[in-house]
Amino acid sequence: MKKVFYLILTIAVLSTVFAFTLPTTWKIADKFNINFATTGVSGIFKTFTGNVVFDEQNPATSKFDISIDILSINTGNGMQNKHAKSAEWFDASRYPVIKFTSKKIVKTGVGYTAIGDLQLHGISREVSLPFTFKRGGNGGTFEGAFNINRNDFKIGEPGGEVGEVIKVNVSVPVVK
Amino acid sequence: MFKNSLLLGAVSGILAGIASIIYQKVYAMSLGADFAGIAKPVTIILAAVLSSLVAASGYWLANKWLRNKGEIVFNLIFVIFSFASIFTAFGAKLPIDIEAPELFPGLVVPMHFFPALAWFTLKPLFIKADMPYKKALV
Repeated sequence: MKKVFYLILTIAVLSTVFAFTLPTTWKIADKFNINFATTGVSGIFKTFTGNVVFDEQNPATSKFDISIDILSINTGNGMQNKHAKSAEWFDASRYPVIKFTSKKIVKTGVGYTAIGDLQLHGISREVSLPFTFKRGGNGGTFEGAFNINRNDFKIGEPGGEVGEVIKVNVSVPVVK
Repeated sequence: MFKNSLLLGAVSGILAGIASIIYQKVYAMSLGADFAGIAKPVTIILAAVLSSLVAASGYWLANKWLRNKGEIVFNLIFVIFSFASIFTAFGAKLPIDIEAPELFPGLVVPMHFFPALAWFTLKPLFIKADMPYKKALV
């Protein structure tokens, strides 16, 4: 009887501990915004999916695994959209998605930084993406701003009318 | 002649504006691409009337300066300007929340030719070959 009692107690304690330590899996809400801008072109990506596991108190257990659909690009100009999807730029027929898989998420002075592999145009590179997380009600919002050099991923020719450093702004509301 | 030219410009501009709005409705119904928020009916009519009034001034000037060659020179310039203006439609950058910007030139490019079309259609009603100033030109 004593053994059963200790077994139940152990399970109860472990359950409680795990309940507090398991990071939350967040569902991406509809009104996300992923926009980019550089000299000569700016726009958004309209399709964004992925798994977001994040715990503010314990970022080390958090993980991002996200995909952006290249075909969902919208620059506001039909010719630019077509050009961006072509082999000269994103080559959407061969590389239809941009993927980011985090390897580590660390807390910083102003927020967090996700360190992971960014796969773009068939090239994978380790990047550090700073972001913040603001809680609100049953959800929260991830926000981040960072620069990506398109030459690192062999997108387009170096130089030219389109800027090489692309500023990316991300705002992703999530719910539990 | 200037008065008749202006009258022709105003009437053909209004006609081109009405034709453009009808075309916009048909385009939206058939393709489901509604750009009414960008190409507003009032803007379309104003642009058509304004461009036709500019054309009317050009017509008057061409006939005044070039005499008997004014007509053909004006017609050529009007058509060339109409054609050249379509590149603004292809280069237009729409707000990024607008779906399918690829379909925007298909809407506005024909509209760029409506003022010229209306002008050439209505011209015999306003400017006749037997008008005193035309006789003087021949």
